[in-house]
Amino acid sequence: MFDFWRRRKSASVAKDRLSIAIMSDRGVKDIYPFMDNLKHEIVEVVRKYVGVKGIEIKKEIDGNFEAISIDVVLEKDRK
Amino acid sequence: MGIVIAVISGKGGVGKTTAVANLGLGVAMNGKRCAVVDFDIGQRNLDMILGLENRVVYDIVQVMDGEASLKQALIKSKVNDNLRFLAASQSKDKRVLNSKKVKKLVKELKDNFDYVILDSPAGIESGFEHTIEFADAAIIVVNPEVSSIRDADRAIGILDSKSQKVKDGGEVAKYLIINRIVPDMVQSGEMLKSDDILDILNIKLVGKVPEDNGVIDASNQGKPVILDKRSVAGQAYKRISARLCGKKIDMKDVEVSDSSIFKKLVGIFR
Repeated sequence: MFDFWRRRKSASVAKDRLSIAIMSDRGVKDIYPFMDNLKHEIVEVVRKYVGVKGIEIKKEIDGNFEAISIDVVLEKDRK
Repeated sequence: MGIVIAVISGKGGVGKTTAVANLGLGVAMNGKRCAVVDFDIGQRNLDMILGLENRVVYDIVQVMDGEASLKQALIKSKVNDNLRFLAASQSKDKRVLNSKKVKKLVKELKDNFDYVILDSPAGIESGFEHTIEFADAAIIVVNPEVSSIRDADRAIGILDSKSQKVKDGGEVAKYLIINRIVPDMVQSGEMLKSDDILDILNIKLVGKVPEDNGVIDASNQGKPVILDKRSVAGQAYKRISARLCGKKIDMKDVEVSDSSIFKKLVGIFR
């Protein structure tokens, strides 16, 4: 059994490692095709209440979890 | 008006220049007028692979600077009348390139040939960007190996953002060549399968080239391997060239070596 795990084929290890490395190289936009729409809708919603200057979405991969953090930059002179 | 194809890789040493030489000659053998251009300023190599290093008089930078005409600088292939070659400048620095000059040169080539194949420098810096800037299509060469594939993905990303065609709202066509496949290693699970590579990079395949000692032998002699009828890599380049010329050629499964087909047959009768 131990031998079985140790002898996992290296090509499949390569595929897994590459997929992860390339995903993080590419950044958020390419990972989630819906990202442009999501951005747009968030801006629309927030704009109902307060002026929006911009929006930034970042992806973080940390060990076993992935997170997207969304920063909405507001206009300075409005509350 | 011809089509301009940039051959790129990201990582160096994967067989880009070999691909350019063989595809250029292959396309010419299909009856198309073809120009191959070495964009690797400062590291001229395509001349050696084509066996034309002794015939270089004028180079690409001299043409761009108006010191020589394109006609004067283009070198005729020894083996095929349809093929012409434009050498990179060996003494100069790649910083001599600029978009305006490149655009003018590429246009002039396009007006005079059916196919214009540009050999990009390795890396993703300015020399690479100038090679892809005015290309209609790109051929990406990878080896079935992690660093080559990752670097290729970076190069594709830059291609998608810096190409003039994309800036104009169009799309630059992208085709993958997987080079140096070792069939036995793929079969034993020690080398990435082409399907896996296509999954990861998400582009179309135009050909698979098996590892072949004949490639070094060919470069030693300055005779592209496509001329060697016994070479498996040469035959692969022949198929790819025909595909580039619009012929329907089935994808040969080079990942199964003849010996492993034989083993399977033996297995059936056992």
